[in-house]
Amino acid sequence: MINLTGIEVKFGDFTALKDINIHVQEGQFYTFLGPSGCGKTTTLRTITGFIKPTQGRVVVKGKDITDMPVEKRNIGMVFQNYALFPTMSVYENIAFGLRVNKVNKTDIDRRVREMGKKVELSDKQLIRKVAELSGGQQQRVAIARALVNNPAIICLDEPLSNLDAKLRVQLRGELKEMQKNFGITTVYVTHDQEEALTLSDCIAVFNNGVIEQIGAPNEIYNHSKTEFVCNFIGDINKVQPQLLSEIAAQTGAALDPKKASYVRLERVHVNMPAASGFASFKAKVVSREYYGLYIKYTLSLCGQTVKSIEKNDGTKYFETGEEVSVFIKPDDLMVY
Amino acid sequence: MTINMRRKKIRITPGKALMFLFFAWFILACLVLPNLNLLKTVFFADGNFSTEPIRKLLKSKRAMKALRNSFILAPTLSITVGFVGITLVLLTEYFDIKGANILRLGYMTTLIYGGITLVSGYKFIYGSSGFLTKLLVQVFPNMNASWFQGYGAVLFVMTFSCTSNHMIFLRNAMRSVDFQTVEAARNMGAGQFYILRRVVLPVLLPSLFAVTILTFITGLSAMSAPMLVGGTEFQTINPMIKTFADTVSSKDLAALLSLVLGFATMLLLFIMTQIEKRGHYMSVSKVKTKIVKQKITNPVLNVLAHVYAYVLFVIYVLPVVLIVLFSFTDSKSIGTRTLTLSSFTLENYKYLLQSLSNYRPFVVSIVYSALAAVIVGVIVVVACRYIQKHKKARSASVLEYSLMIPWLLPTTMIALGLMMAFNVRRPYMFNQVLTGTMVILLIGYVIIKLPFTMRMTKAAFFSLDDALEDASKNLGAGEMYTFRRVIFPVILPTVMAIAALNFNALISDYDMSAFLYHPLNPTLGVQIKSLTNDMNNPNGMALTFVYAVLMMIISAVVLYLVYGRGGRDNMKE
Repeated sequence: MINLTGIEVKFGDFTALKDINIHVQEGQFYTFLGPSGCGKTTTLRTITGFIKPTQGRVVVKGKDITDMPVEKRNIGMVFQNYALFPTMSVYENIAFGLRVNKVNKTDIDRRVREMGKKVELSDKQLIRKVAELSGGQQQRVAIARALVNNPAIICLDEPLSNLDAKLRVQLRGELKEMQKNFGITTVYVTHDQEEALTLSDCIAVFNNGVIEQIGAPNEIYNHSKTEFVCNFIGDINKVQPQLLSEIAAQTGAALDPKKASYVRLERVHVNMPAASGFASFKAKVVSREYYGLYIKYTLSLCGQTVKSIEKNDGTKYFETGEEVSVFIKPDDLMVY
Repeated sequence: MTINMRRKKIRITPGKALMFLFFAWFILACLVLPNLNLLKTVFFADGNFSTEPIRKLLKSKRAMKALRNSFILAPTLSITVGFVGITLVLLTEYFDIKGANILRLGYMTTLIYGGITLVSGYKFIYGSSGFLTKLLVQVFPNMNASWFQGYGAVLFVMTFSCTSNHMIFLRNAMRSVDFQTVEAARNMGAGQFYILRRVVLPVLLPSLFAVTILTFITGLSAMSAPMLVGGTEFQTINPMIKTFADTVSSKDLAALLSLVLGFATMLLLFIMTQIEKRGHYMSVSKVKTKIVKQKITNPVLNVLAHVYAYVLFVIYVLPVVLIVLFSFTDSKSIGTRTLTLSSFTLENYKYLLQSLSNYRPFVVSIVYSALAAVIVGVIVVVACRYIQKHKKARSASVLEYSLMIPWLLPTTMIALGLMMAFNVRRPYMFNQVLTGTMVILLIGYVIIKLPFTMRMTKAAFFSLDDALEDASKNLGAGEMYTFRRVIFPVILPTVMAIAALNFNALISDYDMSAFLYHPLNPTLGVQIKSLTNDMNNPNGMALTFVYAVLMMIISAVVLYLVYGRGGRDNMKE
């Protein structure tokens, strides 16, 4: 569906993107994830045509669109701040693209109203000014406006970043639901790893203008290809050489203490029933943070601190200073 | 993100070529060459460089006195206006003064009533046969009836007419003070006036500097006040330029004086931009709280503050009220400055409509101001769109700085430049003589309104969210369509507001009109000036009052549309 090959973007002397290769399949929810300034938005804007790459090609449905002007591409876009036209009503905002394409009046009216229904905007809301809508409603207008031209692709540039935490989670769900219903190929930009993990079929993790890893959420999370990815996604413990040697000694696993090794918090088990293949350690609870859903413990073992989380299900609760047993499986280590 | 796009070479379309051609001609013919010609008139009168005009100027007692007077007026005015201006803002926005809303309205009357009209109003009250003077003479028969003349009178009139900037800019700065900083200071034990001095006033300081320099420039280029109430002993640079410009033999002196004024203005504006560069204090607060009016705790000071506030109120409002009242009285009442119930009439308004020569100046000014406001609006919107689209291009900076040239030059210098450049056929003005035609004043009006329009319009363009334009393109719209349907509607309210303010300022213009008006079609400012010269002609006075009332109504409506109703709408969006 979308093929980016060898994309390079330069701003003067600064190289913003280096050799980007991405293949997005039809109907996929594809996310560009990374910290700010990593090149994810630049890549998105290369697809929509706001940025012309200095090298490489953008191909959509087999057609090379690298040199096609923005207005001819018909790739829908939802902007970070929605970019709703403040002088127009909700209706006029959604109808804008249709009017540009000189669709006749009755068709415009029908399509705007249909689209309004699909994104759950009432006829009453359609005649309102965009400033009178709530953040969530504004987002729906932005999506409706992007979809009404029947684009083959929709690009979303951090559309949830301006909203408060609760609304963000709620709209995340709505967004995924809508994408499923429309079945439209979606390219999504975010710096929020939780958003990326929950929404995506496929994630490309960006760093400093290059792609570090492309994969499904569980691959990215459980089998991070690079040290950057494993650090950027989720909380993680760095395993120091002493602890690593101890794990190797206890389990017989071939671990090189010179290599950087990590273990995720939920893969550090406290006071679990004995099981084979685990290395076990005596540890002391240094501190704990209470999150409600779970509790995060900081433990001291083998001369380093390790963090661990335990579901707050009432079965386990450790006091600061308490002696506990910690279990780590060599398979759960990510080694670089 | 669009840096590479910005560095792209600018494609020249036929439309763009036409635009370049127009701006190149306009900048050269209207902004640059007339002023260079002025320099030439002074220093190269007979083709060779000569400093003779400087010697002539140094020898002219009148000119030197005018120069000295201006440089006395400007600093003293800065002090008096600064004091009154700060206290106005404190009384209406910071301290808890009873009736602050009414007081504020009174202090803001200068916004709808200024320049030559205001001076004529003051003259009507304080002048030798003025309303107040008559009252005073009845009480003190020995007093000098012409007491309101000279330096003191000019300073008095200008002190109370030049506080508009304070009421706009300084007041805004005061309203943006984060009240939590005041509460924090109080929490740490600071007293009321300590907080004012150490916490509140420092925040206002940058704005105060800027308005003070503007006041200084206003003082230097004073025109109507010294003309009408300065008397023979206190004339300043600008009225002197006007006098010299009216006789052929001393035109070079007028030009030289305007250059002096221009140089002083540039120097002051340079200082101001340096101060502006140091930046305004940005509040670091995420959750600003609005100011809670401070009750003055010391009861004696509180009473004094109230007395002071209401005395100022009377000074501000009295001329307005009397002008409105007297505009409805017969000529006998106006002549004798007495108000009786039986003398009220609508005759003056009828008199205005009765003869063409009476309402003509009004129509002339309205047409000129409206045309100039529209023309300058169009020129600047086109220029700003170009500058916005090609931020990095050299052509954009050249365009921007060129259109700001008039900011550096006093109105009289621009007027004189136009007058002296276009009294002969110039190839760059298509071999047309403009002096003595209707066109030249229109050009003058457009020029003096360029810098303000430019600053405000550019700000509107640059505060636009770039994503709007991207979104429109993304939905398939081309450049013109995007401009017409998306960008222009967003900035339209600002453009209209600027046009309205320009219209307001031009309709009562005297400084530019005095030099360039068409003898058969005098503008309102010129007409009022000539009527005010003869304070003993009651019919003329009546007409002045009617003009003034109508102008106040127009200005008030414009301001209401811009800041009142329109302002609130804009805020919402």
